[in-house]
Amino acid sequence: MKPTTRPIQTLVLAIFAIYSLAPVYLVVLASMRSEADLFAGPLTLPWPLNLENFRRVWSESGFSTYFWNSVVISVSVTIIVLLTAPLAGFAFAKIRFRGREVLFALFLAGLVVPAPSVIVALYGNLQALGMIDSRLGVILPQAALLTPFSVFMMRTVMQDVPDELIEASTMDGASLIRTFVGVVLPVVRPGLMSLMLIVFLFSWQEYLLPLVVLQTETLKPITVGAASLQGRYGVDYGGIAAAGLIAFAPLVLLFLLLQRSFVRGLSAGAVK
Amino acid sequence: MHSPRTAYWFLAPALILYLAFVAVPIAQVVGYSFFSWDSGQLDQFVGFANFARLGTDSVFWAALWHNAVWVVLTLAFPLLAGLLLSAILAERRPNTVRALAAIYFIPRTIPLVVAGIIWGWIYNPIFGLLNYGLDILGLGQFAHAWLAEESTALFSLNVVGAWTFFGFCVVIYLAAIQSIDPSLYEAADIDGAGWGAKFRDITVPLLRNSTLFLGLYAAIEAMRFFDLIWVTTQGGPGYATEVLTTHVYKTFFLVGDFGYAAVLSVVLLVIVLSLASLSFWLLRSR
Repeated sequence: MKPTTRPIQTLVLAIFAIYSLAPVYLVVLASMRSEADLFAGPLTLPWPLNLENFRRVWSESGFSTYFWNSVVISVSVTIIVLLTAPLAGFAFAKIRFRGREVLFALFLAGLVVPAPSVIVALYGNLQALGMIDSRLGVILPQAALLTPFSVFMMRTVMQDVPDELIEASTMDGASLIRTFVGVVLPVVRPGLMSLMLIVFLFSWQEYLLPLVVLQTETLKPITVGAASLQGRYGVDYGGIAAAGLIAFAPLVLLFLLLQRSFVRGLSAGAVK
Repeated sequence: MHSPRTAYWFLAPALILYLAFVAVPIAQVVGYSFFSWDSGQLDQFVGFANFARLGTDSVFWAALWHNAVWVVLTLAFPLLAGLLLSAILAERRPNTVRALAAIYFIPRTIPLVVAGIIWGWIYNPIFGLLNYGLDILGLGQFAHAWLAEESTALFSLNVVGAWTFFGFCVVIYLAAIQSIDPSLYEAADIDGAGWGAKFRDITVPLLRNSTLFLGLYAAIEAMRFFDLIWVTTQGGPGYATEVLTTHVYKTFFLVGDFGYAAVLSVVLLVIVLSLASLSFWLLRSR
């Protein structure tokens, strides 16, 4: 290697780290400044940390409600997906049945369906079902839209479960569902963990569905809340920054704590 | 090896959910596209008449073009950056790799709505960090109202898209690089090959499958994205950042033209499904 190559490479790594983090830092900074000194002073955090903006958006602009709604929606979606996708993934991976290829192709196609292209019919259907402006009207379609990815990922995970393990259990007289719950699920726990995190992440990030389905302010999740705050108080930068931080901090923390699970989940399918 | 009947019970919950809220609505959308509509009600069958309107809908063609530009820009910047960064990282200590991969990946965990808001500030013509930075560097004449000018809006937004995507590319490429046989690099070292030569002759060719995967993934995502545009420019200024998804949204919710919104949805679906079958076929055939 030429003596200059390595420093240049390090510089490239550093520039991209700045590209990655600078906007995040900017938000943290803005969230802790008051209106008056927002654009004054050095680019360092105030000390002691000034949490006034957080207090304000949390209790006055309804962000405690938005946050709670995001939790309810994302957790519900995650539970529904965890109850359905592993079963389906197992069936595709380990059971031979008529129509397997066709049904799997049907799910595969769903992998790429853009939510906006479904909305034209989905909206009317939800209206007919009385689900417009209800949490269920967001939770069920969102779980459904995440189903293809989840089933696909679970099939990949289930393929690695040794057949002998399943056979040993069913030979002992256990039904397939008992085997699934008692033997298979414990083995694929890391895969379930990844699935859980990814589904939670995606449903927390979702914007379009809650935007069109929910009208009542107290039902809206944090993505919709943050976007509307931008419109309502166009100049309250400290407040918007605090709101944005509340919206993404849980995800960043989850990711940093459970990096390995996250990465495994997101790259599922890329390797196979 | 197991009773096939059980398989259907295992599949039923996921399948019902998927059919009810994804597959059936798609079938409906296809059906709707062949009808004329009267104040939100199906009126009469008109065959391909709604589709014929595509030809004269200049917004549709502009949107399609922007989607295409988005694909090219994504291939040109975040994908290439991911390739380069992962190749550099592969030679660093494991702790460095883990830390930097995490840092590069953080933007992807941020909801695009929030990403749009943050970058909206950076691009703000009055107090935005970008113009401020250019000013400090004595490049003030290059300052723009980045998201408000037709010539810069789409490109500026793509930088935001890239911000959320390049870390994903790094992660995927890193996983693939780690499976390359180290003796290939050792042999090249003995031949006296420089870093650039090894990158070009070993890393890039051996990562072809990952590149293919990421390229197709990026292309499909480029057809699907909506949030980022909607919270920043809503397709403007004029139609400078209009994409298919925003065109569908506006035609349906703002114009209330259900038949034509269905047509646009069908076009969108046909494009992503063709891309998906292409990827499936390409990735499987190797």
